[in-house]
Amino acid sequence: MRLVLATSAIALAPASAFAVDYLSAEQAAKLMFPEAERFESHDVSLDAAQMQKLDAAGVRARSARWPVRVAQRGASTLGYVVVDEVVGKFELITYAVGIGLDGAVKQVEVLSYRESHGHEIRLPAWRRQFVGKTAASPLHIGDDIANISGATLSCSHVTDGVKRIVAVVDLARRSGALP
Amino acid sequence: MAAGSLKWFVAAGVAALLSACGGGTGGAPAAPTETALSAQASLGEQIFKDVSLSASDRQSCATCHSADTGHAGPNDLPAQFGGALLDQPGRRSSPSIRYLASNTAFHFDSEGTPTGGFFWDGRATSLQDQAGRPFLAANEMANPDLADVIAKLSRAAYAAQFREVFGADIFSRPDDAFARMTLALQQFQREDLRLRAFTSKYDEFLRGKASLSEQELRGLALFNRADKGNCAACHPSAKASDGSHPLFTDFSYDNLGVPRNPALAHNADPAVFDLGLCAREGGDMAARTDLCGAFKVPSLRNVALRKVFFHNGRFKTLKDTLTFYVQRDTNPEKWYPLNPDGSVNKFDDLPAAYKANVNTSEAPYNRGPGDVPALSDAEIDDVIAFLATLTDAVR
Amino acid sequence: MNRRLHLSTPLRRTALAASLLLAATCSHAQTATEAELARKLDQLAAELASVKAQLQQMQQQRAASPQVTQAAPAAPIAAAAPAPVATSRAEPATVLSSYGEIIYNRPTRHSEMAQADVRRFVLGFQHRFDAKTKLVTELEVEHAVTSSSDPGEVAIEQAYVEHQLAPTWAARAGLFLMPVGLLNENHEPTAFYGVERNFVETAIIPTTWREGGLQIVGSFDNGLTLQTGISTGFDLTKWDASASDGRESPLGSIHQELALAKARDLAVFGALNWRGIPGLQVGGSLFSGGASHGQAGASARVTLWDLHTRWTPGRWDLSALYSRGSISNTAALNAPLVGSATLIPQSFDGWYAQAAYKLWTHEDYVLSPFLRYEQFNTARSFADLGPGLTPGAGATERAVTLGANFQVSPGIVIKADLQNFRENKDANRVNLGLGWSF
Repeated sequence: MRLVLATSAIALAPASAFAVDYLSAEQAAKLMFPEAERFESHDVSLDAAQMQKLDAAGVRARSARWPVRVAQRGASTLGYVVVDEVVGKFELITYAVGIGLDGAVKQVEVLSYRESHGHEIRLPAWRRQFVGKTAASPLHIGDDIANISGATLSCSHVTDGVKRIVAVVDLARRSGALP
Repeated sequence: MAAGSLKWFVAAGVAALLSACGGGTGGAPAAPTETALSAQASLGEQIFKDVSLSASDRQSCATCHSADTGHAGPNDLPAQFGGALLDQPGRRSSPSIRYLASNTAFHFDSEGTPTGGFFWDGRATSLQDQAGRPFLAANEMANPDLADVIAKLSRAAYAAQFREVFGADIFSRPDDAFARMTLALQQFQREDLRLRAFTSKYDEFLRGKASLSEQELRGLALFNRADKGNCAACHPSAKASDGSHPLFTDFSYDNLGVPRNPALAHNADPAVFDLGLCAREGGDMAARTDLCGAFKVPSLRNVALRKVFFHNGRFKTLKDTLTFYVQRDTNPEKWYPLNPDGSVNKFDDLPAAYKANVNTSEAPYNRGPGDVPALSDAEIDDVIAFLATLTDAVR
Repeated sequence: MNRRLHLSTPLRRTALAASLLLAATCSHAQTATEAELARKLDQLAAELASVKAQLQQMQQQRAASPQVTQAAPAAPIAAAAPAPVATSRAEPATVLSSYGEIIYNRPTRHSEMAQADVRRFVLGFQHRFDAKTKLVTELEVEHAVTSSSDPGEVAIEQAYVEHQLAPTWAARAGLFLMPVGLLNENHEPTAFYGVERNFVETAIIPTTWREGGLQIVGSFDNGLTLQTGISTGFDLTKWDASASDGRESPLGSIHQELALAKARDLAVFGALNWRGIPGLQVGGSLFSGGASHGQAGASARVTLWDLHTRWTPGRWDLSALYSRGSISNTAALNAPLVGSATLIPQSFDGWYAQAAYKLWTHEDYVLSPFLRYEQFNTARSFADLGPGLTPGAGATERAVTLGANFQVSPGIVIKADLQNFRENKDANRVNLGLGWSF
């Protein structure tokens, strides 16, 4: 695992706009649901039973708390956007997953990527592989998701992350935690 | 600067002295160059050539280390004569003193191989140490003691220079004066360009400025090839990675089982053996009987100028020497006397107990009677042609 | 529907601290003076006020965000419009990494030559100075114990600074890995099949090959990655004609690894890799630089190029590579070395094809058998030195490796394989290995 020797709290001030931060969470959400009027924040909290269910399904839940942005137009819900961070090899990769009402992945966007290798995961070709995946899909490198040569860790960690988010949102919808 | 003008004065003085004396052997008169010798070295040069520093009044360092033969023995005697009447026979041939500046004191390297040291048995620790010993050796310059040498030095033509460089009262302190004298000799050997010229055809070839003839190139190949001459194993021929040109010796020791030389006076007594490394003066290697019969690997630079080969001067031509190397084991009867029972007394210059020390494992010594020698006659000629390229251009 | 508002972690902590402080204060009520009590109450009130203010600010931010005007098109690169950015951590951080291999080799015909070795133990760290700049380093210890009488070696494998110039362009300066082949930049034990690294990428491409210099990296949206730059090169004066190192790996025996490297002659290099289709990589590289540094009898140039591809459809992992190196003016360099055991070759090359299949997976366990076929010749040709003096070309060696990688956990791999050679049958061997990488 990464041993981070020194880190400080999340910065609230804007960092460099162009460096390796490609999209903000808000921009990504708007891309995924252009017809949405607003995004409401819901925090999904999984209880112990739900965490166990996830583990049984082969998904490591990682944390019990998941902030979800619910895309809404008027009174109806269009879908959900979850922003998450995973480690590539050394650096954090920030990405967003957009899920439709049917529980299938609508879009995946990479918000920031800082690793020296594997920038190709930002390409539409790689992200397109996730469109239509559900909680029932394997979502596994070498299975239904192709790897980027030389960036195996970034690819598998992001794929695991998408799988996790899809499973969490699916559970939350079934339990009524999400509109 | 005072030192600079002193240098010029000394150089001028040396030139005047040399032309006046008309003594010393060969070489073009030293023309002043940018690399003129330092004060100490120029004194050393004069001491080197000064025959008055010997008991016989006819022998200097230059007498036995003649520039004509690459600063090695001047004639084909196996050992030079010395003493007050020049009638005391020496025990070993005079080695070349060129290309010794990088040699170190005797030691065992990280693999336990004996390396370094001056003289055939490495008993002197430096050029300075070696330079002092012939002055007091009974069969060489044969001075009775150190004080005698200094007394002679104080009467030399360059004594005033000596005082100038080392102090006005130096001759009143004979031990110090002797140390300064040998220091000057060492400095001369380190600075003089004739002793480290690197002006041979082979050096130019390494610089990319000359090319070897076909025969010379064939000879180099045979010299290098591990399955033919394998000479480069002890006489390295390749440039070092820092760009320095090869000295054709690794300053190590080897026991070749060279045949006994009846022309050497001390060999008249069949019980006497020159055992080299293990029997050297001081007795520090007496316990290493595995090294009995081992002698220093000499440099092959200017080997074509030499008149005798090996520590006992047993061979007088390169042809004989190289033929011995490759036919020692395939035709031992050519080199060694026969025993009463008709068998060959191989390695006759070693007592029976130490014959096992002889190198029989490395090529070309690893063949047996009746085998084809590692080099044919024509190939030996090729190697000799190559060795001729190691002669420094005359300056 | 429930709509619970949870305090974020920092606020929660502050609230907890506040309540604890209050409790602590209460328990010491008997000993504290009234003034102190009052002071502490004021302190608590102030903290609570600031917490409320922060909460309000965050609520406002969340309410305000959906009103940001529609801007970015569906392209991955953001427009130049200044916008609040993602909460990615851009502060300096130091990350430790490591990889290592422990290997057992047993020649099948010469079991007396069996050996076990901590082949390499590598520690690296990456330190990020700011959002655009980081330092990448790696330190390697080979063969466990290093001293004058032990076989080990300690070496710096990487030490470079990478700076992001623009979204597409980054620059690296320092000691970096050369972008050549499939293995050189990705040489961790978890990244390749087989206990030992393949021969083509050790004998022809001297993995792990690093040079010092300046490199520009361009990462394009069509999947192309361009890497080019100027670096140090090889040193032909290091060629030892009496040793066999040059026959095992010509470039491996003359690499400098930026250790008091001769640098009069610099080299240029370029590499292009395309990964536009997920699961497919096609690429190549070219390197060329002088290697005499004005110190050899003749000036000579070392050139190395390679072409490679890797395709991972489904459970398959297929790769192929060809590489060729050449040295100019070797006739002049070899002339003083005629007859010696190992002369400088004029050209050397090799290729391999490899197939691996993810046969069995269970949770994190993955078993991947593989087969690799390689052909290489470290002395494909020699320059003519004259009759009887020119060495004959080396024999082309063929190696077949059959084995499997077993992943115990992502980052830990156990490997076993069998290697068979056509020329040097004495080298046929069984290998076992344990590797880690994080």
